[in-house]
Amino acid sequence: MLFSLLESCRSALISIYAHGLRSFLTTLGIVIGVASVIAVVSITQGLRVFVSQQFASLGTNSLTVRSYTPIEDRMQGISARLTPDDLNLIERRVDGIASITPILFANRASQIKYGSQTSFSQIMGTTYAYQDVAQFYTTQGRFLADSDNDTRRRIAVIGDKVRENLNLPDDPVNEFVELGGEWFKIVGLLETKGDIMGFSQDDIVLVPYATMQSLQGNQARTDIQIQLSLSETAEVDDVTTQLTTLLRNAHDLSGEDADDFVIETAEQMMDTFDSILGVVTIVIGGIVGISLLVGGIGIMNIMLVSVTERTREIGICKAIGARRHHILLQFLIESMFLSLLGGLIGLGLGFGMGMLIANNIPSFPPAAIPVWAALLAMGFSGFVGILFGILPAAKAANLDPIDALRYE
Amino acid sequence: MAIGLTPPASNNMALIELKDITKYYEMGNQVVKALDGIDVDIERNEYVAFIGSSGSGKSTMLNILGCLDRPTNGQYHLNGTNVESLNQNQLSEIRNLEIGFIFQSFNLLPRATALGNVMQPLIYRNIPLRQRKEMASEALARVNLGDRTDHLPNQLSGGQRQRVAIARALVTHPSILLADEPTGNLDSKTTVEIMQLFDDLHTEGHTVIMVTHEDEIASHCNRVIEMKDGKIFQDSTQATAQVH
Repeated sequence: MLFSLLESCRSALISIYAHGLRSFLTTLGIVIGVASVIAVVSITQGLRVFVSQQFASLGTNSLTVRSYTPIEDRMQGISARLTPDDLNLIERRVDGIASITPILFANRASQIKYGSQTSFSQIMGTTYAYQDVAQFYTTQGRFLADSDNDTRRRIAVIGDKVRENLNLPDDPVNEFVELGGEWFKIVGLLETKGDIMGFSQDDIVLVPYATMQSLQGNQARTDIQIQLSLSETAEVDDVTTQLTTLLRNAHDLSGEDADDFVIETAEQMMDTFDSILGVVTIVIGGIVGISLLVGGIGIMNIMLVSVTERTREIGICKAIGARRHHILLQFLIESMFLSLLGGLIGLGLGFGMGMLIANNIPSFPPAAIPVWAALLAMGFSGFVGILFGILPAAKAANLDPIDALRYE
Repeated sequence: MAIGLTPPASNNMALIELKDITKYYEMGNQVVKALDGIDVDIERNEYVAFIGSSGSGKSTMLNILGCLDRPTNGQYHLNGTNVESLNQNQLSEIRNLEIGFIFQSFNLLPRATALGNVMQPLIYRNIPLRQRKEMASEALARVNLGDRTDHLPNQLSGGQRQRVAIARALVTHPSILLADEPTGNLDSKTTVEIMQLFDDLHTEGHTVIMVTHEDEIASHCNRVIEMKDGKIFQDSTQATAQVH
């Protein structure tokens, strides 16, 4: 059997080579199908690798807790809040926290001015612990200190994008900017983190938490975010459970009430992104699957023509002793090889297309083909070849030797 | 497997035993009796010609002798094997082991070289490539085509093509060489060469059976069986009329 298989492979290759152009045109459907799959997969996978790197840079073991108000409640004017009391509670009662920091977002227009330049940035009030939680450190000057918080100093640490937008000097430390009508002294410049899906992470201004609180005035309505990082031994799930129980108690939520807060982990965001990407991949994969099907039908068509054309040859082979399986294998393997060949060309072409697209869109991550996608594409094209080779091969194998020999 | 182009050793039975062979075809609502009660024994190393006009049943005879077709009724023993009970795959095997076909139109594989054509039947015996090449080269040398092994059929003359076909038939060491109008597509000079080759093969001990409608060709054979309307009309063993 192995011998027949090898011999069939040999004669299949000879036959494909002998009809070079026709073989290529036959398998063009498969080439296009596989090329589109690989192009799409290589781009989405490149995107995925890129995004997971970005999420890793956010700090994989950090959690964000923020208030959550369902839309129905929001329309009734009710809004859930996380308060500094919640922060105190968590600090005291939850195990496994390495650092914890509140974040208070500016509730007015986040306008920032320097000289004649104006820009809009994310302005956050936070504490010294933020740099550890967010893994975001200064390259120049210093970060916010606890003493800044205690004395509500008007100082700011800015991201590089802000410096750029405001035409601040390369070393902006000791310059003054205007935030919400107040003057702030810049004490530090953050390192560059780059974009996540087009959103700059460097377009932020950090001021001391207490300073932000005093600027906002109305203490009763303060709604903060709490960001915390876990100690090395702590489990994300365990801390999440502790936080949920604690906050539900603190907010007097009974059994049926939904949480009025959400706990986000970097992992969760990654999962969400992954599932979106997964759906996109499956949908496109399905569409492309249809094109492979069409490609397979093309192969079947030409193989049927080829069987008819070679009827006499088949008759000769049968007359000199070819058995059914010899003929069957020969055509089946020829069809499979044709399809695999298409798959291989498609693989190269698709990767090339992916690279070309990725390289021509600015700031788009480089294309990457995972091994599973390459193997799957090859496997699937081989399968298509065999599937659509069955009919022509069976037709050839079942030819009557006398009729086949007489065929003109 | 013995390398060499001599036919296999004999046993007690006649090489070919046909008993009351009939072959009927249905054409519309008419039954055509292509063969109608044929009894023939052919011994080893006989040199037989089936002759007759077209429609006499000699082509059907050839198909049945060559195990390409099965008789409607009757018994056919080839080299001790009862052929009529075999299925298509077993018939293929018998054709491969026992029969060397030589056709009027040569029937070479157009995309294979002379060597490739001669090697083809050995593939179905699972003989490895190197040994196949050896055996095929030997067979081609036997038909004086040792220098044409890499030529494609369309690069060869008619006589050369037929010699490739004969080499292909010889390479498997078959019990019988079965030739269907082997010189029908050849000019008279080449015909002489090819018939000379058949005569030599017979002299070397091969059993040669051919179907022809030319008396000139049939005169080479020791035994001429004339067919008419699906029956044997005359079965004459003639004195060796070979032209050496």
